[in-house]
Amino acid sequence: MSTRYGGYMGKVMVLDLSKKKVAEYPWTDRDRELYIGGKMMGAKILSDLFSGKETPLSEENIIVISTGPLTGTGAPSSSRFNMSTLSPQTGFLTSTNCGGTFGYYLKKAGMDALIIRGKCDKRTWIEIKNGKFIFHDADDLWGTKVTPCQEMLQEKLGPKAKFGCICIGPAGENLVKYSSVISGERAAGRTGVGAVFGWKNVKAITASGNKKVTVAEPEKCKKALKKWFKYLRNHPLTGNQLPRMGTAGLVSSMQMRGMLATRNYAKGQYEYFDDVNGETLAEEYNIVNKGCLTCPIQCARTVRVNGQAVKGPELETLDLLGGGIENHDMQKILDWNNELDELGMDTISAANTISWAMEANEKGLWDNGLAFGKTDNLSQIWDDIAHRRGIGDELAEGSKRLSEKYGGKEFAIHAKGLELAAYEPRRAVGQGLGYAVANRGGCHLNAGYMVIVEGLGLFTDPQTPKAKADFTMLFQDLMEMISATGQCLFTSYAFFPGFLITRPNGLITRAVNAAIPHIGWALRFMNKFPETLAIHLPVFPQSKFFKLATGMPMTFGHYVRCGERGYTLDRYVSSRFGVSEKDDALPKRLTAELQDPNDPTTRVPLAKMKRVYYKARGWNRKGLPTRRTLRKLKIIEDK
Amino acid sequence: MVTVKLFGLFRLDTGLKEITADVSDVKALYPILLKEAKRHNPKTKVKAADIDGCIVLVNGKQMTKRAKLQDGDEVMLMSPVCGG
Repeated sequence: MSTRYGGYMGKVMVLDLSKKKVAEYPWTDRDRELYIGGKMMGAKILSDLFSGKETPLSEENIIVISTGPLTGTGAPSSSRFNMSTLSPQTGFLTSTNCGGTFGYYLKKAGMDALIIRGKCDKRTWIEIKNGKFIFHDADDLWGTKVTPCQEMLQEKLGPKAKFGCICIGPAGENLVKYSSVISGERAAGRTGVGAVFGWKNVKAITASGNKKVTVAEPEKCKKALKKWFKYLRNHPLTGNQLPRMGTAGLVSSMQMRGMLATRNYAKGQYEYFDDVNGETLAEEYNIVNKGCLTCPIQCARTVRVNGQAVKGPELETLDLLGGGIENHDMQKILDWNNELDELGMDTISAANTISWAMEANEKGLWDNGLAFGKTDNLSQIWDDIAHRRGIGDELAEGSKRLSEKYGGKEFAIHAKGLELAAYEPRRAVGQGLGYAVANRGGCHLNAGYMVIVEGLGLFTDPQTPKAKADFTMLFQDLMEMISATGQCLFTSYAFFPGFLITRPNGLITRAVNAAIPHIGWALRFMNKFPETLAIHLPVFPQSKFFKLATGMPMTFGHYVRCGERGYTLDRYVSSRFGVSEKDDALPKRLTAELQDPNDPTTRVPLAKMKRVYYKARGWNRKGLPTRRTLRKLKIIEDK
Repeated sequence: MVTVKLFGLFRLDTGLKEITADVSDVKALYPILLKEAKRHNPKTKVKAADIDGCIVLVNGKQMTKRAKLQDGDEVMLMSPVCGG
């Protein structure tokens, strides 16, 4: 179905693996206006196709690979693509987002999204070229790690062939619950989507073509982009800190704030953090910075492992395979990060599952031979998990299922079955709320990333619950929409004027920090009536550029409202699979145990914040959107 | 004598990881740090305002630049960072 809007290719394709048939999916301009692209598009398609009886590893599960309208337009950091499906890890609707080049090439192949149904009868890789689909036997690829797999695909398609690629490693093939999908060096890491591909017998998909993405107002877009790139390059975060230190730069800051997850989140500070932080990584290990297409930030690190230049670790991996398991050997983290990527496994869930197992062994719940600080056997453990050998077969199930079997639920650090990121939320209670209510589970980004105002940027009181629910909703909605357009969330970090970041002790910054807990009412008003902000903000060029690129009417307020629609739609779809208030939970370690026994505020006061959050969202006490909210957001419409 | 440990971009810009100084409050450290930074890396563009913008922890607790120091204290100075 063609479109009148810029940025879109105007086609959504359905690929039925069982019947080996391809068809076009009806996706109208009305759908584009309401659901934009990326994860929102995926959620809407799955909302229309899922009844609620499907299970993650079954022929009925569906994967939607979708791009955003800004993918391929030259907008900063806009090469991302999204995959939505039922998660084997959480059992609910999930989305996982990835950089690299695949999204760009999928559009060059002529489509905005690809819906994958059914199951291949044998191991397969799929070639998409200019809208045509070719099925290839994947027996020779099966069992390979992700780099050899992608090298073999390059050989098959020709040494000069230019294409985007996604593939799974042995972990996805063996249905590890937290297996990832890899594209180049980038990972769609979280919620176990690799296992869904593995179950469908799909090892890899390549995309190529010569179609072009056109925008609605090319000249105005060109001018706006020049300004936007300049703004990002001059901002202290996107132009200085992230390019120079990557996300790893946060380790020291989190240590100082007491929010560096240590020893399976028993503590918020790690004695040897200076051995495994961003400064040491930059000084002693980083070779060069890297980034995705059209990205001025270049946040990725390149390090040396076994004489090879490979992708370096993010903050999450540095901490969770560092302080999280009491390891202060940086080289081991670099090695493990590479091994986990090559096997196609999520480093966050792998690390947290291991730290849970270490504590379970220590407490006498499960005799597994693992112990904090004992790291000599971990490379073998990763391989055993990916191939489901020995205790690896059990570890492949993740900390939630293991704690249900062996006990120790109170220190199984997950939400909805997805292990938490590295931010210890007892020192950032808004982040704790976000982790608990996030649709995809314990993800720091889907949580709303409140830590950015709770000590990692601004310095509002991290222990107060005041205004945290309202901020969480606003940030979640903004991020939802940024993802839907195909952009990286890091572009939004320039939202805070530079002086607030670089001058934390300044009068204005201190006033802003002090005021934040008291402006919940104003945020509540804005969240309820976002369209009243019918303007574009200079610090948030996303909404204006979206309008110029697509030709769709858009303001900052409308941008927020679209995000709200996407966030609520996710919850609405997952409600068919049983999600409710009971799943918006954190382990007792974080809600009942004090991080500092002398400070009663060092726990997450979840119940109180959840009530405010549900009310702000227009969800009922069971954590589900009301009919009124669904109508207001046009998720359901009266015939 | 207090020990001062440095983190963040300030450390990368100057190459300074740690110094010791004989001072009675945090503010008195700043000119010493600036001098040390320039001595350690003459090409550094670090300014007094950059040091003034650092987050200060004394013995693990966040303090302001007016905090008094005692012999044996450990001061951590970190240039602000965020986003991950």
